[in-house]
Amino acid sequence: MRKINFLLVIALVLMLSFTAAAQDKVTIDFWHAMGGHNLEVTETLVERFNEQHENIEVVAQNTGTYNDTLTKTESAVRSGDAPHIVQIYEIGTQVMVDSGIIIPIEELGKEVAEDNSFDWGKFLTPVSNYYQVDGQLNSMPFNSSTPILYYNKDAFEEAGLDPNDPPQTFSELKEYAEKLTIRDEDGDVERYGFTLGIVGWFVEQMVANQDALLVNNNNGRDGRATESYLDREPAVRFIELWKEMVDEEIMLNPGRGWDGAKQAFLSGRSAMMIESTAQVTNFSENAEESGYELGTAFLPRPDDVDRGGVIIGGASLWALRDHPQEELEAAWEFLSFLSEEEQQVYWFEQTGYFPVTKSAVEREMNNQFFAENPNHMTAFLQLLLSKRGAATQGALIGTFPEVRQIVENAIEETLMDNMTPQEAMEEAASQVDESLQEYNSLYE
Amino acid sequence: MKEQNYNSHFLVPYLLIIPSMIILILFLYWPTIQSFILSLYRTAPFGSRVIYSGLENYKKLFTDPAYLDSLQRSAVFVLITIFGGLAISLVLATFLNKKLKGIHIYRTIFFIPYAISPTVAGSLWIFLLNPVAGHVNYVLDFLFGFQVPWLTNGFFAFIAIIIATIWKNMGFNIIFFLAGLQSIPDSVYESAKIDGANSWQIFRKITIPLLSPTTFYLIIMNILFTVFQAFGIIDIMTQGGPAGATNLVIYKLYRDMFVNFRPGLAAAQSVILLFLVLIITFFHFKYGSKGVHYQ
Repeated sequence: MRKINFLLVIALVLMLSFTAAAQDKVTIDFWHAMGGHNLEVTETLVERFNEQHENIEVVAQNTGTYNDTLTKTESAVRSGDAPHIVQIYEIGTQVMVDSGIIIPIEELGKEVAEDNSFDWGKFLTPVSNYYQVDGQLNSMPFNSSTPILYYNKDAFEEAGLDPNDPPQTFSELKEYAEKLTIRDEDGDVERYGFTLGIVGWFVEQMVANQDALLVNNNNGRDGRATESYLDREPAVRFIELWKEMVDEEIMLNPGRGWDGAKQAFLSGRSAMMIESTAQVTNFSENAEESGYELGTAFLPRPDDVDRGGVIIGGASLWALRDHPQEELEAAWEFLSFLSEEEQQVYWFEQTGYFPVTKSAVEREMNNQFFAENPNHMTAFLQLLLSKRGAATQGALIGTFPEVRQIVENAIEETLMDNMTPQEAMEEAASQVDESLQEYNSLYE
Repeated sequence: MKEQNYNSHFLVPYLLIIPSMIILILFLYWPTIQSFILSLYRTAPFGSRVIYSGLENYKKLFTDPAYLDSLQRSAVFVLITIFGGLAISLVLATFLNKKLKGIHIYRTIFFIPYAISPTVAGSLWIFLLNPVAGHVNYVLDFLFGFQVPWLTNGFFAFIAIIIATIWKNMGFNIIFFLAGLQSIPDSVYESAKIDGANSWQIFRKITIPLLSPTTFYLIIMNILFTVFQAFGIIDIMTQGGPAGATNLVIYKLYRDMFVNFRPGLAAAQSVILLFLVLIITFFHFKYGSKGVHYQ
């Protein structure tokens, strides 16, 4: 009887120690907006981390689109149920900084986790520039992309154009598009020269590509933005070009959003388009399957204007402050893991989003990745050759999601002939000014 | 003894309605009151600042041409969708009321759109109306030699939303019309035929009046559908565009709440919407019920 009792006690002690070990495991909630193939890649990274860290369990959850994720985070914060790490799109940067719920990752790494081995200079300059506000890095750069021009080289040859001489200026873009457009005997367009989805992001990028600002106070980097520059020449002349090309039926207007334009290009209904660099892998595979050669080039710019460059787009990872010390440390562990070279290379090769650290780029260069994938090279060079300055650093606007809609609305107004580009952009600018004033007044 | 009895009788009805009152208060009245309170404030994203602003949100809405536009657009949308939808559904219901072989299969087919989610319905219509590979334009081009810019032109986008919404709600309307049609006794039709009425007269003078209780109910339900549930289809198909052409009140409300982070303004819109629906329902019951014949 004694023996049995003794064994029972031992068993009990063992059980208790197991539960204690399980309790020692820190759980980190990670909300993200990666869907489809990118969801699998994200989950693989999380699994790898969990395998390597016995005492941390990262639970990744897809929370819908970028916008859904921001909204869900807001309601989770209000009900005291906030995740530890959340992926927020680049245009949510200002609103997150103002939210009062985040802990800047530079503070998290240096002061909370006291991680002295982390190299803060390892990020690519254009990437860290975007996410640096008030002199510190606020969020961990994660998926980054910029727009580039994609074109069908076979269509270029058919139209008598040099496939290795893509359009560089607005007038060349128009001239090429005219030559690339094919009409049937009734005059209906069978193939358009160019297409572009109505997405506000393209306007922001085209403004930066002319080395111009989107809003005042140095793009909102020196102080809160109070005035929009959408009614100035850099934005207006891009909308003018857009309208001219749609009116001349050399450019397909696929409506708002990304899918229509992409579908038109991939199905051969359009010979050129501008899309995110995150599509390089996808488009290259499609070109191989459909049997045409894919070309890429820098964004075109107005004829007499020097090139500024592109702004980093995509999303970054934010840490939320309201959690116990050990959970914050675990969150830092995960963020720092993601920025390691191995994860960065895997992420880049699997998704097409840029690696965000210098060492990952170096490794890809050494193993001839760029030599074998010239289209990825275009994407990279365009980013690295961008001028450094507030224009390409990107604007900080608290109501950026709303601003994008205002811009998209203005484009639609011009394309539907309700307003001239100048009128539409003037109205958009005044709506943005009002929105900025409303937002800023909340923080006075 | 008698007094006790009276007392227990006095309490019983209240006890019986307590469960439903609790649910109503928790999920209906309390949120309504909360929206009203919220509409008097301006709130920063994540609730870090809350500033009392009185009726400013309402003032802003009623001086905003975009909001007044969207109110007007919504009224047109609701009218066309309800009357168009009910007329088509009634015609289809009379066909589906015939005693044909396999009629159950036809009835099921017509009910399917109501059973699918608005997201799926919207995606299907985008697919059909797609400018590049859409079937509708292909057929139009093949038959008549022209194509319609369905979702990139404001007017056509508005029409597209109406078509999709009518199609989506048709199943519901048809089911109720069918039930109504089947409850009309054959003897009424027979005596009408004996009196020499033609089929139009029968439809006009017998079917429509005897269906009026169903129609009355369907109008209310359709107002709710088109005002509130059109959201899903709009979000998928047009996102309120192009150039605000399909930006109905419910969609603008959603955007102000979830995209533009203006909970106060959105709450004010929901209060306005609540009052509008209340007013319409009141007048519908007051004047609309006069034409209703119960058998």
